[in-house]
Amino acid sequence: MNTNSNVYTVIYTALIVVVVAALLAFVAAKLGPAQDANAKAETLRQMMSAAQVKPTEELYAAKNAEILDLYAENISEAYTIGLDGKKNGELSVSKDKIELVSKLKPQHKAILAEGEVTLPVYIFKSGKAVIPIYGAGLWGPVWGYIAIEPDCHTIAGAFFDHESETPGLGAKIKDEPWFREKFIGKTIEWGDSPAFRLEKNAEASGATNAVDAITGATMTSKGLNEALNIWFKAYENHFGLGAFFNMLEKHAIETTPNAEEE
Amino acid sequence: MAQKLKETILNPILKGNPITVLVLGICSALAVTVQLKGALVMALSVIAVTGLSSLVCSLLRNTIPNRVRIIVQLVVVAMMVILVDQILKAGEGTYAIDKQLSVYIGLIITNCIVMGRIEAFALGNKPIPSLLDGIANGLGYGLILVIVAFFRELLGSGTLFGLQVLPSGYIPNNLVILPPFALILLGCIIWVHRAFDKDLQEK
Repeated sequence: MNTNSNVYTVIYTALIVVVVAALLAFVAAKLGPAQDANAKAETLRQMMSAAQVKPTEELYAAKNAEILDLYAENISEAYTIGLDGKKNGELSVSKDKIELVSKLKPQHKAILAEGEVTLPVYIFKSGKAVIPIYGAGLWGPVWGYIAIEPDCHTIAGAFFDHESETPGLGAKIKDEPWFREKFIGKTIEWGDSPAFRLEKNAEASGATNAVDAITGATMTSKGLNEALNIWFKAYENHFGLGAFFNMLEKHAIETTPNAEEE
Repeated sequence: MAQKLKETILNPILKGNPITVLVLGICSALAVTVQLKGALVMALSVIAVTGLSSLVCSLLRNTIPNRVRIIVQLVVVAMMVILVDQILKAGEGTYAIDKQLSVYIGLIITNCIVMGRIEAFALGNKPIPSLLDGIANGLGYGLILVIVAFFRELLGSGTLFGLQVLPSGYIPNNLVILPPFALILLGCIIWVHRAFDKDLQEK
């Protein structure tokens, strides 16, 4: 047979493409659930690391099934909010049907466009609320989870991850425990601009909402700083008011009912 | 026959090593050698891709239209790479490593070793020798990758396979972690290789 004729070439390539496409589609469909389960467990690990449910190494050593159990044990409720800070959806937390807002990129875009968002808030039984952040690092996306104490003001913990930051430099946001530990006890100043500062020499100012940027990872730090502030801004209406009421309670400021109505 | 097979397997690992002699696959050798674990998974992935692609292309070698043979090879290689990537993503233990290797698993498609061996060997040889040739070339590549990663993880992080081996007082060398050091290290490996193998030296 003449393998160089036009007809043969066209039929041959068409056949190869169809066979390969079918095979890949089949494999993708078969492996999809396992991949999704891995991705979900990974997200849960990061959220629970931020919420200080267990030490990060233990969470990463645990199997996927154990992670799902641990989450179901520790979560109290999860819901989504809009940019106005009001609830606009519920997320199931029952063990067999854990729902997450796992795609952060579209949410990030919607925040920037001030469009419709469904920003997740995960409330753990310890009272800590975990929220995600997402933005652009140097080489690819950076994201993370921030746990906020019940006072809606203090950071209880954080976890950061990235797709392709430089190992030994930008990758420190994930690899170095000291970096995420620095966020514990810091505050988010809702309503301030910026609400949080991850900048060079920021800690020297003595501000409680500041963490030093990482030396040698200027662009990653800048990207993370931007991600933090864009997402904190988006959550401001939800947590800002809570923080305000907490402050009122703390300082026991007396208000008269009349003054409130006016 | 046995002599020829032995040569097919040993040549790519020593005298015809794809990295140190043919200088192919350098980019990924720089990118994924920061940690031993990643380098090992990368090496295994490349072995699987080169071996299976060579096997499939060798099986098809008499049917492939000559004018579109590169494209057909590319489709086969791309399919293998996607399969490897999908399988790594689906495994509970390998998911984290796949994430760490990120785009470099996908970039195996562009690794010259894979296409090079199909063009140079698989299209003119029977399936079994082609499979062995692919695997051996992957091994030759993987061997260098593991050597480079050994030094980079040891000096750059003070660890091996994530376990601390150097005393905790050791300050990790940041240069070792950056890609240029891998190039320097590769140069040293080529130097040592040539010093021991007289056949590789130019007159």
